[in-house]
Amino acid sequence: MPSDRKRTARPPRGEHLADVRVIGLPRALMYYRLGTKWRAFFEALGREVQVSRPTDRSIFERGEALSVDECCLASKLYLGHVDELASHVDAVFCPSFAKPGAFRAYCTKFQALPDLVTNAFALAERPVTVLSELLWEGGAEKEERESYVRLAATLGASRKEGVAAWKRARRAQEDHDGQLARAQADLTRSASRLPEEARPLSILVAAHPYVAHDPYVGGIVTDALRANGATVLFADEFDHERAYRRSQDFSPSLPWVVNRELVGAILSLHDEVDGVVLISAFPCGPDSMTDDAISRCVHGRPLLTLTVDAQSGTAGVETRVESFVDILSYQRKGGYLNG
Amino acid sequence: MGEIREVRQSDAPRASVTVSAGGARPTLLPRKRRRRDRHSRKKVAFFHYAYYDVAFQFFVEHVLDADYVRLPRPTRRTLEIGSEHSTDYVCAPFKHILGGYVEALEAGANVLVQFTGFCRLTYYGELQEMILRDMGYDDFEMLNFSMVADHPFKDYVSYCKRVVNPSLSVPKGVANMVALLRMVELLDAYNDYYLANAGFEVEPGSFERAREAFFDDMRCATGRSEINQAYRHGMDVLRGLPVNKPAHPVRVGLTGEFYTAIDPISNLELEKKLLSMHVELHRAVNLTNRILHYSEENTRRSIADYVSYEMGPTSSLTIASAKRYMEEGFDGVVHSKSSGCTPEIDCMPVLQRLSRDFHVPTLFLSFDSQTSDTGLDTRLEAFYDMISMRKGRTL
Repeated sequence: MPSDRKRTARPPRGEHLADVRVIGLPRALMYYRLGTKWRAFFEALGREVQVSRPTDRSIFERGEALSVDECCLASKLYLGHVDELASHVDAVFCPSFAKPGAFRAYCTKFQALPDLVTNAFALAERPVTVLSELLWEGGAEKEERESYVRLAATLGASRKEGVAAWKRARRAQEDHDGQLARAQADLTRSASRLPEEARPLSILVAAHPYVAHDPYVGGIVTDALRANGATVLFADEFDHERAYRRSQDFSPSLPWVVNRELVGAILSLHDEVDGVVLISAFPCGPDSMTDDAISRCVHGRPLLTLTVDAQSGTAGVETRVESFVDILSYQRKGGYLNG
Repeated sequence: MGEIREVRQSDAPRASVTVSAGGARPTLLPRKRRRRDRHSRKKVAFFHYAYYDVAFQFFVEHVLDADYVRLPRPTRRTLEIGSEHSTDYVCAPFKHILGGYVEALEAGANVLVQFTGFCRLTYYGELQEMILRDMGYDDFEMLNFSMVADHPFKDYVSYCKRVVNPSLSVPKGVANMVALLRMVELLDAYNDYYLANAGFEVEPGSFERAREAFFDDMRCATGRSEINQAYRHGMDVLRGLPVNKPAHPVRVGLTGEFYTAIDPISNLELEKKLLSMHVELHRAVNLTNRILHYSEENTRRSIADYVSYEMGPTSSLTIASAKRYMEEGFDGVVHSKSSGCTPEIDCMPVLQRLSRDFHVPTLFLSFDSQTSDTGLDTRLEAFYDMISMRKGRTL
């Protein structure tokens, strides 16, 4: 189908958000990838930033009440976090993500977020002020900058202030990502220096950041892994650009940039880990296809594919993780037959 | 040659006199070289997609200039193969198409075509190829337009040349491509009339028969004039069929996901079921309205009160068409999608809001790989009863 997406900004809306003092960031979805940037951006513009508290059962229930049944878990949680913030802050920041290239796309969920929030809240007859802009995240530098300048303009900031805030925000995010990637690289290096027997099992968790780092979703999995004595590495705490390039050897037409980075990280770290755990929030569209491709094509390391929904207990996940860790420890001793 | 006269006498020696027009010529005339046969013997198959296989056939035979493998009508087996070899929660079109590909390969195809899109569709081709090869089908190539997504037009051409037909004639292909676009418009225009009137046919099955005959005519068309002629003839026949349409029929607007809302196999013959309840149907979601005559900005302009961003590949069209149905006073709207289709799920709150603001009932249908349609029948009957009673009260 022909690509007819015009690179134009959204039609200007009447509302002016210059008097917004406190901006809410829902601790869900892209907050886990770009939260540092957004916080730095709004703080540079002199706004107070408030992040919702970590996910718990009540946030999930509020999100579920606002969502269509079939929505994915991550999207339900997002609405729950927005609801949590809506009454405390002047505006909730819900950006829409543009598609900078055919193979640097985001799930359509991220395109739809602001409209999803506005309509879901309108349906439930709850008030919410949404601060939003079409962000060219991961696109050409100029496009990305301009989208942030437009965002700053919504808040009544001048172009100069917008550019300065964007630069500072971008640096903050780069520092943050670099720090995480370096810490993880140090961890693998120090582990590889240990003698074979003393080395703990290292397990790579590959999941969207908002799944892997959300205590309510991926948290139960990583907790169970650590409780079983494994060192947990995260595929998203890896140099994004390097991972993206690596993924091009794997697939020519995988469209989603986050999934590409995860695949690239899996391939890069494959030899340094004992096993890989794919966690997916039910029913994630991109994961439904990428996980299939990974399990078909990435061989040589045991792979656990976990689909997490809003369970009321953690026993199911714990059993699976425990048996997976058992398999890996047997494997390290030379397999079942030699163990 | 000129006049030949033979002179015969009983016992005289035989003689003949020949007179030819024109001057002398060399013994061997210089001959025109025979045109190179540009036709490729590659057997190309598409997936099953409502009546568009007529257009797919034209694309293969007249644009790619290769052999077309027409898929058998999908059966329960098609979907079973498809779901068996794909993950559970991938969208339903993926399973339908995968099953269709297996049947195409069994029917002798050696090139399979897949499109590219904005959602999971972009990755369909690669994953399906992977699955088919893992299943042991190895003797085929994939014409997967995702491989050249975002590339200029000439890359599409050279990709088609490489995979299907190296001696493809570009000028002829382009001319036929224009004819193909016309064909798609006409197929959709024909179908619009069909949907609006087939529910009121006097002789059961007459519209369906006329439509099949029309598709057969279209299948035989080789160029623009024949396409136009087939359409004119088809529409004449269709308009000539007796109908018994009340002054204020129950009108239902169809909208939804681009594959499931259109393809009767995927939506368990939703249109046919509604037509059999004597409903006038409209479906704005089709190739003409989304691909050929589409402006994202202008479509979104009409729903600016509800939506400010492009929410997904067909979201704006879904919402705008539903809003138009409601403004035009339709009695109900049916939204169908495959289960788990993210962009269409995100449209649902907007449609619910529209439905509340305009007081028009909206039925949400989600299709997965189920094959029994009793549940659908019940829901449609209940929906029809509700909207026809509402109509009875207001008239």
